[in-house]
Amino acid sequence: MKLYTRPLYAPDTSIGKPRDPSMTTTATTPKFVARDVKVHYGDKQALHGIDIDILDKSVTAFIGPSGCGKSTFLRCLNRMNDTIPSARVDGTILLDGEDLNDRKVDPVVLRARVGMVFQKPNPFPKTIYENVAYGPKIHGLATSKEEMDHIVESSLKKASLWNEVSDRLHQQGTGLSGGQQQRLVIARAIAVGPEVILMDEPCSALDPIATAKIEELIDELRQQFCIVIVTHSMAQAARVSQKTAFFHLGNLVEVGNTEDIFTNPKDQRTQDYITGRFG
Amino acid sequence: MTDTVQSSLAETRAPAKVDLKTAVAKRLKARHAAEMRFRAYGVLAICVAVLFLGILLERIVHQGYTAFVTHSITTEVYLDPNRIDPTDIMGANYDQMITEQVMAKMGVAEDEYGTTSGEYKEILSPDLGFKALEALRDDPKLLGKKISLTSPIAANADLYYKGEISRDIVEADRNVSDQQMVWMDDLKTKGLVKGHFNTYLFTNTDSTQPELAGLLGAIMGSAMMLLVTAALAIPIGVGAALFLEEFAPKNRWTALIEVNINNLAAVPSIVYGLLGLAVFINWLGMPRSSPLVGGVVLALMALPTVIIATRSSLRAVPPSIREAALGIGASKTQAVFHHVLPLAMPGIMTGTIISLAHALGETAPLLMIGMISFVPGLPESVTSAASVLPVQIFIWENASERAFHERTAAAIIVLLVFMIVMNLAAILLRRRFERRW
Repeated sequence: MKLYTRPLYAPDTSIGKPRDPSMTTTATTPKFVARDVKVHYGDKQALHGIDIDILDKSVTAFIGPSGCGKSTFLRCLNRMNDTIPSARVDGTILLDGEDLNDRKVDPVVLRARVGMVFQKPNPFPKTIYENVAYGPKIHGLATSKEEMDHIVESSLKKASLWNEVSDRLHQQGTGLSGGQQQRLVIARAIAVGPEVILMDEPCSALDPIATAKIEELIDELRQQFCIVIVTHSMAQAARVSQKTAFFHLGNLVEVGNTEDIFTNPKDQRTQDYITGRFG
Repeated sequence: MTDTVQSSLAETRAPAKVDLKTAVAKRLKARHAAEMRFRAYGVLAICVAVLFLGILLERIVHQGYTAFVTHSITTEVYLDPNRIDPTDIMGANYDQMITEQVMAKMGVAEDEYGTTSGEYKEILSPDLGFKALEALRDDPKLLGKKISLTSPIAANADLYYKGEISRDIVEADRNVSDQQMVWMDDLKTKGLVKGHFNTYLFTNTDSTQPELAGLLGAIMGSAMMLLVTAALAIPIGVGAALFLEEFAPKNRWTALIEVNINNLAAVPSIVYGLLGLAVFINWLGMPRSSPLVGGVVLALMALPTVIIATRSSLRAVPPSIREAALGIGASKTQAVFHHVLPLAMPGIMTGTIISLAHALGETAPLLMIGMISFVPGLPESVTSAASVLPVQIFIWENASERAFHERTAAAIIVLLVFMIVMNLAAILLRRRFERRW
């Protein structure tokens, strides 16, 4: 099976060098292919059949009013909904052509490939170093202290945090500012060497300056990763994403190039939402 | 719908707008009075609680503090070869020999019937005789030599020295006669008897003689029992709570188990004693009145509390930590053991230590499993018969000698000190671990 033949992450290959072409898909083939995805929380249906293709090496933004199902769908992409006992997911989601809801797919392996950043910065109450090193440690990605140091350094560099914390790696991660914490969390996700990074409203708890830094970072990261971001800020979606998907009441109303969605929406509901008529 | 909401808003607002200030001012006095009244109730409740606590502590300390001081006698004893048969050192009457020697030293003459030495013996201590015999048994060459011996004085004499027995009481109504009082005063002025801190209370085990009775056996028994309780209750309780809170599916069965655990916390402790008697002693044949059985019974009693405390502190760990760990590919077990459990640890420890402190003071279930017996020695292992602090208090309270009463209060003070130390440990551990993050 393809999932297991591909090494999870070779710590060095992707750092500073282009990835092995055989390991990545071209920008035109979709990373995720979702067909007829339905999610129920108990008796309540949260998603009514979502069909979407998500491209690799680009940023896809999910927008829509609160409770429209965009976060629910995001959590389907790394099976975080498994942790909610009442949740039931139907339909198929293919990651590089494989159904990630397949019984043979271990969510632990999947979540190493599809990292996630949450709304509220949630660093572990440990040191900055330990925060970043935790993922590689549990997956056994480093065989020596030097390798681990290298992973931590390169991950923090990729998350644009290295310059700010290099002299205090062994201080508490929770002592950083909100924006730094969120970048630490991104570094923690990068350290495992994922192919996809899911971001669930990563800037909603941050001030504008920290938000600008994260957006800048997202733009850099898109060179290497497939990024899916849920956001309430339409301006943010317009700034950082190449593709935008508009969700409404558990349906995917419209998806397309960000430019087209914001300048020439096809659906009336999209038009109403982006012009601030509701939401 | 918005129309009705707006209209109802308008209705409620319209009359209030007219004289908001006067309307509020009218009720303001009553509102302030209600607030003051409620505060006064609170202060009153605290005062009553503090008052009763104060009375309780005052009574215990007032009765018990004298037991921490005792008097002992130090005297030279001549191991007289004329009175001790070297082939049968056990057969000699050491008490009589020592009494006569002390009398000679103090210039008290023996009468022809030997009643004077009989009375004099009462104010000394049989322990002196035991000590002389022990010394001779260890080293037979001491026969014919003088040795210096120190022993706690008889309990009644000790009470007299502390002023607990006064001359104002009619002689027939007290345990020491006027003559004995004169002798005792003389012993003290001659420097043979000295008052000092009662170390015997902590170095001796239980005894039928109040002056020799100490708490060491009970403290050891309590410590052993508490170890058994902790070794069983902590791993089982924390494990059960972890499973129920983090891993178990939320269905009818786990709900039933949860309700039952909460109910078990309210079961009277004596019921656990009955269970221990029926299951552990009668059915499994564990040794009666041993710290092992006591510990197992108290572990059962502490389990619900440990489980409830652990679950609530696990629940207090923010779910974002679990999501963070799961989100980078940690397994459920790794998320729990690497992140959730360490964060819940201060709460778990506090709850556990307090339930152990509760178990330390528990008496009723121990009475059911036969832990109410006179145990003069130290327990050798968890399976040998032992006494524990609360039961020791119970036994001493029932003793008829007056000197045991002050020791009862002293034992209560010792138990309370252990409780305070454990609770303090809980608080310190909590603060220490919370500061780490």
